[in-house]
Amino acid sequence: MSTDPNQAVACRTVDAEERSLLGRVLDRIADHCRARSLFVLHYCTGCGAIELPPTMTSRFDLERVGMQPMVTPRQADILLITGYLSVKTLKRVVMTYEQMQGPKYVIGLGSCTINGGMYWNSYATIKLLDRYIPVDNYIAGCMPRPEAIQQVFLDLMGRIDRGEAQAWKDYYRRYDWYLGQQQQLFGTNWQAPTDVVGEAIRYRLVGEQTLGSHTAHLERYAPYYDQLGIIRPEPARMKARPQLEVVSR
Amino acid sequence: MDFTHLFVELVLMPLIAFLVGLVMVLMLRKVRAKIERRIGPPLLQPLYDIVKLYSKKTQVSHGPMHEIAMMVALGGVIAMEVFLPVPGLNGLAEKGDLIVLIYLMMIPSLGLALGVGACANPNGSIGISRALTAMVAYDIPLMIVVAGVALFHGTTSLPEIIAAQQAGGMSTWGIVQTPVLALGGLIAAYAMLGKEPFEIYVAPAEIATGPMVEMSGKFMGTLFVMQCFQLYAVGVLYTTLFLGGGEYWISFLPKIFAVVFIPLAMTNVFPRYKTEDVLKWMWKWAGGFALAGLALVVMK
Amino acid sequence: MNRELESLDAVFREMPDLKVEHTGPRRTRIQVEADALPTLLELLKGRAGYLHLSAISCVDWPDTEEFELVYHLWSYQVSNLISAHTRIPYDPGRYVSVYDLHAPAVYFERDIHEMFGVWFEGCPDQEPFILTEWQGPPPMRKSFDTVAYVNDTFEWREYQPEWANDPSGGKG
Repeated sequence: MSTDPNQAVACRTVDAEERSLLGRVLDRIADHCRARSLFVLHYCTGCGAIELPPTMTSRFDLERVGMQPMVTPRQADILLITGYLSVKTLKRVVMTYEQMQGPKYVIGLGSCTINGGMYWNSYATIKLLDRYIPVDNYIAGCMPRPEAIQQVFLDLMGRIDRGEAQAWKDYYRRYDWYLGQQQQLFGTNWQAPTDVVGEAIRYRLVGEQTLGSHTAHLERYAPYYDQLGIIRPEPARMKARPQLEVVSR
Repeated sequence: MDFTHLFVELVLMPLIAFLVGLVMVLMLRKVRAKIERRIGPPLLQPLYDIVKLYSKKTQVSHGPMHEIAMMVALGGVIAMEVFLPVPGLNGLAEKGDLIVLIYLMMIPSLGLALGVGACANPNGSIGISRALTAMVAYDIPLMIVVAGVALFHGTTSLPEIIAAQQAGGMSTWGIVQTPVLALGGLIAAYAMLGKEPFEIYVAPAEIATGPMVEMSGKFMGTLFVMQCFQLYAVGVLYTTLFLGGGEYWISFLPKIFAVVFIPLAMTNVFPRYKTEDVLKWMWKWAGGFALAGLALVVMK
Repeated sequence: MNRELESLDAVFREMPDLKVEHTGPRRTRIQVEADALPTLLELLKGRAGYLHLSAISCVDWPDTEEFELVYHLWSYQVSNLISAHTRIPYDPGRYVSVYDLHAPAVYFERDIHEMFGVWFEGCPDQEPFILTEWQGPPPMRKSFDTVAYVNDTFEWREYQPEWANDPSGGKG
């Protein structure tokens, strides 16, 4: 919401996220509850999964802060990627991520998700997880100790409480870019079973990069994309999450 | 009873049920945490979960039947509460009786079955078929127990059953008068809670929480609310049938919490039965105790 | 016990060209020509009780331009592991499937086809198995430069010292 008084004079454009006082109070309550009730879906193909039982059970007890393991993506809030992802498992992660309901958060655990880790020279594993799905937090280390995992969970809880963890919206707003990255690995005919663009329209999360050259081949499945002309794309205003700069070699 | 009074009772009874149910869910998780030597969730955790689930920003719905059926299920449990007499509030308990209550107890499972059928998830379908099997497993002992209680007191009206038990203090409680029947009823109540070892339809490691597999956001929130109501209903029903109901809340609440606590304290050390084993076990033991209790009642 | 050992000797008597070496108390290494290997497996299965094909592995020998296929066979009767080694040339890189003898061979052969590009005649299924999204050459050949491929395909993130101070990875 803009606080610039000059902007509020004449025909100010109505911000889609601008809320009344009551709306903001309700949002605050909802964020407070969201931060204290996080259901975690573990994607345990990597070795990092071994650090989670101590984090969950009596030694460190994640339930103290309201976290519970959940077994299906529909119920979960956090997708915890525990270690390396091969190209084949990345496809499943993307499908799992798209089945989760927003607000949803992704945590990359271990060095593998950050820069390939000890599998940096493998032809089969991906190196940068945040090129394919938006990642809220990374935990560096090989392996990170349960203390580090807790530290990141607390950090994420703090950001959810303050309403800052909005990376999941980035997936809708820049779907074309994410789909392009996925297509580099899965082939140009790749399309997820979930209608992400349709969801972006439904929940008014269409950004300037939601549609593009990579999503063009999806349009034959969804004739309603041409209604997009009606919906005005939001101005580029990524205050919550600054664009991640990936340093190219 | 004038209309305003009835209306207040109809609003108040589900509300109390929900609040007490929230505390019961907290107790459920705290008991599990203490047995595992953990600290467990904070006091407002059940409320946080429900508010969070209802405030999810995207929802996936599998068609109108999915949404209607969830409302049917929730409506079923809420309707159940107004037929359960609690201290000071009789609701519709004088108009409907035990038979109506037993019918209403089946509505949540049937509503859930309709909704899960619309989801078209194989895990959900397996889960709901197991849930209905579990219902067959515990409903037959429960019906025998209810028939025994009704025969013993010569009425199916819950307020009259409570009045008969409260007539002579603790010595006229159902658990003293008909102990075998009460044991069968306790096992059936345990199975109604759907905890291990009767957790066949949730089975997170096997069929990914079964009926709940496709539920997200508000649907999951509805299920969490239903869980509160169901824990409360099981506690109140058993208390009403065997523990003399309640004259005052101060004596009533410990009874219903005790009824729910007994299964919760046992459940954490058990693994899970197979579906057919639940059926066999329930019919053999719960059904056996219930039949023996019924025979004792008839012979008296 | 003697009876089974005799039957293994009977196999060796029928195939005199084998190079047999007892490398350990329960390990036997057999070097066999490529055209004789199916016969050997059939004799081992039929006469000596080596029923369990536990794996087929493949080794790439770029110096001689050959693939070495190793068939690991286990006998439950005498608790002995036979590894039958055979070599096939790069060109044409085709060999015969042993699916008709040992049904589990289909997975090993599919895997070898995927990783080394060896074509197995008679194998019922040689579709991509693990590398379903792979379009490049067979990646486990020694001629495939993994590091060069990774450098061409993937991008890297350079380490930034301030990440160490911020648990959210510098972007929270």
